[in-house]
Amino acid sequence: MSMEDYDFLFKIVLIGNAGVGKTCLVRRFTQGLFPPGQGATIGVDFMIKTVEINGEKVKLQIWDTAGQERFRSITQSYYRSANALILTYDITCEESFRCLPEWLREIEQYASNKVITVLVGNKIDLADKREVSQQRAAEFSEAQDMYYLETSAKESDNVEKLFLDLACRLISEARQNTLVNNVSSPLPGEGKSISYLTCCNFN
Amino acid sequence: MADNLPAEFDVVVVGTGLPESIIAAACARSGQRVLHVDSRNYYGGNWASFSFSGLLSWIKENQEKSEISDECEDWRKLILENEEVISLNKKDKTIEHVEAFCFGDQDSAKDVEEAGALPKLPVFGASGAEGVAQDPNKECPPLDSAVARAESCEAEKAASVDTASTVEENDTEVNCENEGSPSVSSSESALDLGKAEAAPSEVSAQEPKKIMYSQIVREGRRFNIDLVSKLLYSRGLLIDLLIKSNVSRYAEFKNATRILAFREGKVEQVPCSRADVFNSRQLTMVEKRMLMKFLTFCLDYEQHPDEFQDYKNSTFAQFLRTRKLTPSLQHFILHSIAMVSETDCSTVEGLQATRKFLQCLGRYGNTPFLFPLYGQGEIPQCFCRMCAVFGGIYCLRHSVQCLVVDKESGRCKAIIDHFGQRISANYFIVEDSYLSESVCRNVCYRQISRAVLITDQSVLKTDSEQQVSILTVPPVDLGQPAVCVIELCSSTMTCMKDTYLVHLTCPSTKTAREDLEPVVQKLFHLNTEAEKETENEELDKPRVLWAVYFNMRDSSGIDRNSYSSLPSNVYVCSGPDSALGNDCAVKQAETIFQEMFPTEEFCPPPPNPEDIIYDEDELASEESGLSNSPETKPEPSPEESSSRGSTAVNEHSEE
Repeated sequence: MSMEDYDFLFKIVLIGNAGVGKTCLVRRFTQGLFPPGQGATIGVDFMIKTVEINGEKVKLQIWDTAGQERFRSITQSYYRSANALILTYDITCEESFRCLPEWLREIEQYASNKVITVLVGNKIDLADKREVSQQRAAEFSEAQDMYYLETSAKESDNVEKLFLDLACRLISEARQNTLVNNVSSPLPGEGKSISYLTCCNFN
Repeated sequence: MADNLPAEFDVVVVGTGLPESIIAAACARSGQRVLHVDSRNYYGGNWASFSFSGLLSWIKENQEKSEISDECEDWRKLILENEEVISLNKKDKTIEHVEAFCFGDQDSAKDVEEAGALPKLPVFGASGAEGVAQDPNKECPPLDSAVARAESCEAEKAASVDTASTVEENDTEVNCENEGSPSVSSSESALDLGKAEAAPSEVSAQEPKKIMYSQIVREGRRFNIDLVSKLLYSRGLLIDLLIKSNVSRYAEFKNATRILAFREGKVEQVPCSRADVFNSRQLTMVEKRMLMKFLTFCLDYEQHPDEFQDYKNSTFAQFLRTRKLTPSLQHFILHSIAMVSETDCSTVEGLQATRKFLQCLGRYGNTPFLFPLYGQGEIPQCFCRMCAVFGGIYCLRHSVQCLVVDKESGRCKAIIDHFGQRISANYFIVEDSYLSESVCRNVCYRQISRAVLITDQSVLKTDSEQQVSILTVPPVDLGQPAVCVIELCSSTMTCMKDTYLVHLTCPSTKTAREDLEPVVQKLFHLNTEAEKETENEELDKPRVLWAVYFNMRDSSGIDRNSYSSLPSNVYVCSGPDSALGNDCAVKQAETIFQEMFPTEEFCPPPPNPEDIIYDEDELASEESGLSNSPETKPEPSPEESSSRGSTAVNEHSEE
């Protein structure tokens, strides 16, 4: 069916403590809405937005935690085929920043080596309640080799930028990787995996 | 951060194995409020898969078998006068006789730790959140201060039950030992890892590379080692359910590529598809015709009752002898295609099994089987994700003290969790291993013998290293069970490059090692490097680098009535069975769901997320109904067009 209406497709996954605004970021970006109606996310696995970057259509499939972060019970498969991770904390909540190393551990354990990670401090509209300074976050992200950005899902600050910059990086990574991958890619006919069983209709 | 749980649900599910997870997903999908808990810090119970270090921790845990001292019983005051209590198990007793062996130089691994995907965390990263949480006033220490590092190690050691630290115990220990040398080896190894990936040309392709134990440890996270070893029949109930419910979108699969047989001390490939049979070099022309003729007959054997009528009371093996088949063909059909017992299986059962195999051929590839990338342990989690998407609440590391039963009605009203919180619900699903001995005293369990090996070569080398093979080793003594061997290559994402992960499974007659070691010795070379030089004939066999044996309780097929005094609204799910497929778990889940909610559909297709987002509201509801008929609407996969994944995802059609 509609496999041709984009040039790239990337899976982006959000993680971070409950209440830092992950769903708000996604809804703001994909639908321009704030705040998202609670409960409206029931049954929604991921959201899609197609953006155009330098004339190329990039389809972003953005996955939310489905609430499994509340009790630190995210399934491993959530991380498996992610191309990028958005690690989110709330700048007005020290605790959400302190938990970042624990999230990084999960990423380390389950995500692909090639995953791109972006650190996002959300809720800059609440600047007077800030508990995590920009400098600390910048230092942390540098040490972890992550990109870093502060956003406000409410005011729509930096939200577009976050996803568009990420899309750009993913495209350039993808280009580099195709070159590298050609060397190590399995012979045709082997190493073929079947995803989305729905594709398979023959006999 | 520990949010409080709501005090009321419709369904509480205890245990995250496959049947429980399917039920949880089905319930949430039909609008029930679901709480799904597991006392362990990982998903899947005995269906789980582990990284190498995770498996080592699991082994340690199961070898120690320490009894947990009874905690305070404050919760008892939550029990009302007209209520009674059914206590649940605190300690899992389903795993026994765990024996692990390392055949390499174990010392070499002393200072090695598992390499991560990311550069090592800075100082306060080394401590789990527990450490931080205990001391909320502690400021973030400055980067790379050795003192802080030591502290954080201490903190982690102190934290007894912690997510990460249990799984990564080995890592943390090493971390602390390495305190003296501040530049930690892991950052180097992470770099090495990157290099190896970026420049595969450095790897010489000729000689099978010698993998050291230290490499296994370092690349430990590339392993996803399943506690159960199963495959998905391409027309089995699990595949049907994955497609119907759309849960398949959370997983990726790879074909099993070869069916193997073990005959006269040699491993051979079994031709099974039409193309295989005709391309086979080991079969004579005559044999090819015989085999094709017989397989064609099996596909619609019911149309030709005269052909097998006289053998209804014979075994399938005896029946095969009367057909015009050479001994090797009989062996292939009996052991590798029908995969049935030589002594117990009737003619009709054998024909059914053969037909099932043949019907599954060609749907996704040359063999009837699929294997989930990253291991079978992904599958229960995929259903959990589905449950969560539909509002289910998830808590790992969450034990349940007891079920609370209303004396008058005899129904279960609530559970009390390890925090002493009382949570009420209408239905309770409990996995067998959580039930206490008093409930199970009349239950007679079987056992499964399991072995997992990491080896350096395939049991049958061909041009391609990337093979997923299933091999049935018939018993030496008639009447004993056959051993099912599944060999996984690194592209299944279950083991590191240049190694194979080999799973052996059979119903137990003795301890796992007694049951399986004879087969391991037949197929593999067990000795260490030094001895290897002397035995030349052994050189051809793959070498075992590391092995573990264990027995797992098989709680399948137990009649509900054998559990003493369970309320009618408490349902028991069994652990994994010893069969190759997953039909047992799916059937059980569907049966329990239908008993609870007879009028609800079992896991109907969810609305397509793309429809919800793209279209205006009214459009969404219309289209989602239509667009979900599985098998008609191809859905692009994330990998397909991103041009990142080298293992491109494609339809794989057969004639």
